[in-house]
Amino acid sequence: MTDSRYCGNPEVLMSYLYEDGPREERLAFEAHLRQCGPCAAEVASLRAVREEITAWTPPETVLDFRIVREAAPVKSRWSWMSAMPAWAQLAAASLVIGVAAGLSGLDVQYGKDGLVVRTGWNRPADARQDIVAPPAAAGGAEAPWRADLAAVQEQLRDEFRQAAPAPSARPASTAAVGARTAMSDDEFMARVKQLIEASETRTQREMALRLTEVVRDMDTQRRADLRRVADGIGVLEGRTGAAVAQQREMMNYLLRVSQK
Amino acid sequence: MTVTDEELVARTIAGDSDSFNQLILRWERPIYALAYRQLGREDDARDVVQDAFLRAFRALPGFKGEAKFSSWLYRITLNLCRDVMRRAKRAPFAPTPEGVDIADLVSSDTPATESIEDVVTRKDLGRHVARAMSLLPEEQRSAIVLKEYHGLTFQEIAELQGCPLSTVKTRLYQGLTVLRRELDGLGTGPPRAEGRRP
Repeated sequence: MTDSRYCGNPEVLMSYLYEDGPREERLAFEAHLRQCGPCAAEVASLRAVREEITAWTPPETVLDFRIVREAAPVKSRWSWMSAMPAWAQLAAASLVIGVAAGLSGLDVQYGKDGLVVRTGWNRPADARQDIVAPPAAAGGAEAPWRADLAAVQEQLRDEFRQAAPAPSARPASTAAVGARTAMSDDEFMARVKQLIEASETRTQREMALRLTEVVRDMDTQRRADLRRVADGIGVLEGRTGAAVAQQREMMNYLLRVSQK
Repeated sequence: MTVTDEELVARTIAGDSDSFNQLILRWERPIYALAYRQLGREDDARDVVQDAFLRAFRALPGFKGEAKFSSWLYRITLNLCRDVMRRAKRAPFAPTPEGVDIADLVSSDTPATESIEDVVTRKDLGRHVARAMSLLPEEQRSAIVLKEYHGLTFQEIAELQGCPLSTVKTRLYQGLTVLRRELDGLGTGPPRAEGRRP
């Protein structure tokens, strides 16, 4: 028996199906089901669906999530560096390099002898003097830090001098040591040139080898392609020849027949 | 005597992280099951479980206790699942694997009284159900999952989904109707009387 309050009303149906809703409403719907075949069938089929979907279970898995409080990490001596912005780190690095280069009297030259890097300690004494004594004509803005730099440099030299053995204990003369150093530099440069030349020769040889291989491969491929093309043409010629012969036979046959 | 969720929450807020680990132990399986049934992929479900607990732990000081802890956790999980589905822009369910894995047949959830044939049938049906579920819109699927597998009330689902009670019931009904049609089409399960749709 159709009842507009219950038939086609999903809310009442769901409340009854899941037993979630006012008890009176469910009891009333139950009474309706005893009289309404279609509603009873609907409830039965949905119950069957509910039973079927219980078959869907998630796969077994290992869940071992835990909240772990980590001990406070020990700060390294340089950890404050990571807190600095990148530009500050770059500026600090530039300053350190600049000061180091200034202290060592770094001299970089690039000429016909190639790249030459010298430190102030390897220079002749007069050249060193130029650096140690700040020029009187230096700009007013540069003067203070140059003076500080020169003072630090002089102080370091004094310390080196004090740490070094007495001049009388030195072998022969410092000029000889300087000459030996210069000679070793020349030898070093000659050796570098040799190495560069050897490397160039090796590169050229490898390049020539590669080129030869490429040319040989291309030649092989070209020959193979030519042979394939020639074969293809031969096949075509054979087929054409066969067709021409067949036509000729046909013509002869027609001529013979027409003459009879 | 079992400690309630609310007590464990209070202890966690007071600084006892072990209490939160007890909450994890208590809820990780249901949350995993919910995430798996929403996403259909084990790896994604595991990730969601981890994210859900981590998010809950971080947000716990702001948890007012107006809703149950479990409802709050379900809401976080459903939101994360929704994010995963949106981000991935892909079908929420993985393709149904072919055949039956023998290892599955002897898994620990198999009742001792169930025969191998029954297990195979059940697994097969489970795959059909998963495929049919994948056809449902997200709201219908989550309504069915929360009701059928987690036993939430209509009211709780309505609060989680942010919709009226009547909408939850309609979603459930529409979802069950689609499932019935799909499972009938596969010829699975016992024959039953055809119901009429209102």
